[in-house]
Formats: sequence, structure tokens, C-alpha cells
Amino acid sequence: MGIITRATKNLSRRKTRALIVIIALSLALTLLIVLPPSINAGKATTQQIINDLTANANYLNSTVTLSATEIDCSLGTNFTISGNNATITLQDNTANITDYEGLNTIPDVTTVIPILEQISEVKDGILNGVPLDNASLLKDYPSILPANITKGRNLQAGDSGVVVVQENLANIYNVTVGSTFNILGRNFKVVGIEGQEALNSTDVTMSLADAQAITNLTGQASEFKIFVDNIDNVNTVTARITSNYSKLQVSNGLSQGNAAQQIQTSINEQLQAAQNNLNQIQGNGLVEISIAVIADVAIILFIMLYSVRERTREIGTLKALGASNATVLGQFMLEGVLLSVIAAVVAIAIGVFVAPTLANLLLPHSIESGSIPGGMSFSVGANPGGYNPISVNITPELMLLGLGAALLLGALGSLYPALKAARTRPAEAMRYE
Amino acid sequence: MSDLVLKIENLTKTYKLGKRDVQPLTNLNLEVQRGEFTAIMGPSGSGKTTLLNVIGCIDKASSGKVLIDNVNIAKLPESKLYKIRRDKIGFIFQNFNLLPYLNARENVELAMELAGKFQGQRGQRAKQLLATVGLSGREQHRPQRLSQGEQQRVAIARALANDPAIILADEPTGNLDVANKQEIVKLLADLNQKQGTTIIMVTHDEQVASQTQRMLLLSDGKILQDKQAQKETSQGSKESSHE
Repeated sequence: MGIITRATKNLSRRKTRALIVIIALSLALTLLIVLPPSINAGKATTQQIINDLTANANYLNSTVTLSATEIDCSLGTNFTISGNNATITLQDNTANITDYEGLNTIPDVTTVIPILEQISEVKDGILNGVPLDNASLLKDYPSILPANITKGRNLQAGDSGVVVVQENLANIYNVTVGSTFNILGRNFKVVGIEGQEALNSTDVTMSLADAQAITNLTGQASEFKIFVDNIDNVNTVTARITSNYSKLQVSNGLSQGNAAQQIQTSINEQLQAAQNNLNQIQGNGLVEISIAVIADVAIILFIMLYSVRERTREIGTLKALGASNATVLGQFMLEGVLLSVIAAVVAIAIGVFVAPTLANLLLPHSIESGSIPGGMSFSVGANPGGYNPISVNITPELMLLGLGAALLLGALGSLYPALKAARTRPAEAMRYE
Repeated sequence: MSDLVLKIENLTKTYKLGKRDVQPLTNLNLEVQRGEFTAIMGPSGSGKTTLLNVIGCIDKASSGKVLIDNVNIAKLPESKLYKIRRDKIGFIFQNFNLLPYLNARENVELAMELAGKFQGQRGQRAKQLLATVGLSGREQHRPQRLSQGEQQRVAIARALANDPAIILADEPTGNLDVANKQEIVKLLADLNQKQGTTIIMVTHDEQVASQTQRMLLLSDGKILQDKQAQKETSQGSKESSHE
């Protein structure tokens, strides 16, 4: 029966009180144990978001530059109304590609890609012919190919006699990858299905040569995609084309560039927000940790002071029996430390379960998705569209640290009461009231 | 007759109560032989408890000398006094003052633990002491499961634990019924006679006091009467009064 047994027995003396104190302490200590790793996890999450956003911004920058330097020149569409029931026929105008070779000579133009688009040639569908004879062209300007292949493969350099069909049209004609699709009397093999880009789009895409052949439009195109070397020259080139080629309907990607700019701004705002979040996590966390520390020390201080007051005669007896000041001091400090450490064990048990919840409750969240006006939206990370939950692990090292902290705080909180106990006069043992 | 366990010379105790000076002990002189069983009587406020506290090193003398085993405790600092309390004094309180969360054996052992005795030694001796006070088989009982008389027996065993020079008992029968009172006094008298334990006991109770060898009557901080019951018969009618 040493001082430790005595301290333990003393605590178990008033079980309800000890229980309440331990619960209160363990709540404070749970904060103390959960918060530091939560702060780290929160910082890591936010840092991840910052990295994702930065990567996104870079990617956006390169793709947007490409589409913003694209000028679409179309020969326009012809309406004809015929018959008694006024059937409207749409016809894409076409022209000999050789007539537009001058486009290549306009300063700052890097590439001119002819496209043949025919609205009415496939019933319910739009026929697209894109040049497939140049592999490096396809590599540099992938935007001329179908964008969203859901089955099979995309068109590739050297393809002939094959098509990529958009989903709607594939459904209408009941074709899929591997099917034979008869278009204008010629059989094509379906190599890929393109996901819908617009609700009712019904494109079928093949090589330019095939499209020209089946429509009897050899050497012709309905549209030229022109790429400019630098976004700053887009307007000059656009103006030159407009004045030199009156038949072409010219539109450029600058509006897309503006949209991209907006996205860029939005990303930057989010980067800023994430950075603020990082600082806030640190700040909030420190405040909460301080509260937990103060609460722990205060609870121990008050309960031990109360205990010392209540046990004055008992302490007097101990001293009358010959206990030194140090013995009494030690016993009371041990009781406070014991309370705190028991509470820490409980807190660790609680912490293991509630750490993530608590962390998300107490620390600011990282928002990590955004949208910009005009319906474009983007998201990053594993949990787009919502806040990113902080995940916290209570590691064995943390548990030990928690116990150590509880020990220190217990000692700190019980120091004054224990000193008071040590100073109790032995004559208190003689008070009989 | 020179085996003095306690020698008090010109002991005065003064303290302030509000603005008033109170002097519970005035120039008191007393000698106690080893093996004496002394009762201190006197009305309330006569200074008997103060005297006991000064002897027990839980109150300090204002002036004068208090020698326990030839050590003057009147001038000792607290850092030495606790050792005197631990090694030289055994306290018995009116309210027993057992630690409620320790059982009988542990209460007795506590005194020895404070004196730094080893665990094996302690358990054995605690058992013996409890047997001496008639509590064999009740070692594991906590105070609340013991009668008042039994609690006081545990307290007596505890007081004996470190073989003190003097047992100081403050109204040890004050809270006991008649039957228990007599048993406790008999126990103390037995200890005194069989083991030669020196006991100084403050009591209100004449009947209790009559069981002792020597009776001091205190009044206004002085010894009014010092009656040596047995010596009275052996040495003739001798009543010494100290001023």
C-alpha cells in the first residue's frame, strides 16, 4: 500500500464525482488529442487542394490557348423550301479546297484544316469528313476529331471506310461497334461510338476523302479550321479573312478565351480561399487547443481544491502521524495526475472514434469545386461538389503524446491544491466540529 | 528515576485572537517518566489540549523548553518536527481519525509507511498490533464496518505502530458509549502496564482519569494539581503542585 494505491483509493472513494470529473476532463482532453493531428490533416488536405487547383489552372491554360487560337471559317448553310407541303431542306455550301489555298499564306496562320460537313446526306444525321491522312496534324489538333468516345476507338490517321457514330444516331440506325453502316450506298464499319455532346446531336464522322467520295464532292470542303500561332494575332487574322474571303462566315475562339479567363480568375479565388483556409485552420486550432488546455487545468485545479478543503482533517491526521510536506504534496499531485491520465485514456478511446467528426466540426472546411457563369463548371480532387472532409488518424505516438500532455496538465492543475494540502497544519486533525 | 521521556520548562503559549492576547499556557513545568500513564484534566479553556498539541509537535511553544527524549522540540523547524511526530509520538484522537478508504490493517500500516518501513515488515507488525488491541480477523474491515470502539482500537494500534516514546490521547473515550469507554481505558492501562507504554491522556471523565497513575489538573494554563495515585501509597501523601 504505497502512495499510488492511496491516490487510487481516494479517487474511487467518490465514484460519481470521479466519474463526472473524468468525463469532463476526457472531453477537454479529446479536443487536445484530436486537434493537433486534425490541424495537420486539414493543412494537408488544403495543400492537396491548392496543388490540384494549380495543376488545373496549368492544364486549362494550355488547352484554352489552343481553342482560343482556332478560327472557324464556314461556307454557310443554304435553305431551300420545296413542294406543296413546304419541306425545308438545309444544305451546307461547299467549295473547292484549292480555291482557298490562300488561307495558308495569311501571316501568323500555322495550319488550315478543311472539313466537309453535310447536313442532309445521312437521314437524321450530319455527315462529317475530317482529314485523316496526316498523323502529326491529328496529334497537334485533336479537337477536330470526335471528343468523347464511349465505345470502341476514335478515328486515327490512315483510317478509311470506317466511321465513328454519335449515340443518338447509332440508336436510330441500330448500329454499334463492329456493325456495318450503309451511308449513301457505301458500307462503312463502325469503329467507335461517340457520347452525346448536345442533346440531339447526330454526327457521323469519317475521313475527309470518304466523305467527299460518297457525296460526290471530291476536292471540296464546307469549312476550314484555321489555327493562329498566338492568341494576340487572332483578331488580325480574323479581320483579314473576313475582308479577303467574303463567302466565309468567320468565328474565333476568343470568347472561349474569355470564359477561360473567368475560370482562371475563379481558380485563383479558390486558391486564395484555400490559402486563407490554411491560416484559419491554424488559428482556430490554436484557440481550441488553448481552451482544451485551460479547461483541463481548471477542472483539475477546482476539483483538487475542493478535495483538499473537504479532506482538511484527513490531511491534518496524515501530518500528525508524521507525513512530511513532500509526502502530502506528492499524494495530492499524484491524485490530480491520475485523474488527468485516466481521463486521457478515455479521451483516446473517444478520440479514435470521433476524431474525423470532431475535426470537421471544429476546423474550417476546404471547399474544392467551383462553377463559373455560363454553365461551365469544373471540379478537382476526390470529392468534387462538396467540402473535403478531414481524415484524422490517432496514431500510437499521438496516444503517448496525449498521455504525456495529460500528465503535465494534471501536475500543473494539482500543484496549487497540493501545495495548499502540504501547508495544512497537523492541528486540523484535532478539529471536532 | 532519571528516565525522563518528557521535560517541560517554563512553557508559555500565547496567540492573538482578534485583538485580544490569549495565553492558554503560562510558565508551565512538567516532567514525565518513561512508562507513566498520565491523565490531564481541567475545565474547557484550561489549556489541556494546547499542552497536548505542543507536546505532540502540532502546535508551537511561544517560549520555554519542551524536551522529548532530551531533544528540545520547541525550537525545531517543521522540516524536523514531522520526524518527531512520526517517530516519537503516537496520536489517539477523539474522533479516531482513521482514513475511511483504507482498511484496518492499511490504517495501521500507513503510520509505518510514513516512517519508511518495508512492506513485509509492515504487514506482519500491523497484524500483531491489531491482535494486541483485540482485532484479530478484522484486518480487512474498513472503518465504516467497525464499531466506534473497534475504530478506536485500530487508532490505538496505529499510534503504537512506530514504537513511539509517548502516546498522546485527546479525549480518546469522548465519543464512546460506557461499555466501549471502559474497554478502551482498560486497553490503554494494559498497554501501559504490560508493555510500559508512556501515555498522556486528556480527558473530561473522572472515571477514566481514575484508571491512570497520575492526574494533572490544569486551570488557566497552569498545573493546579499533580496527583500521583500509586506513589501516593508508596511514598506517603505527596501532592505536588506546580505554579
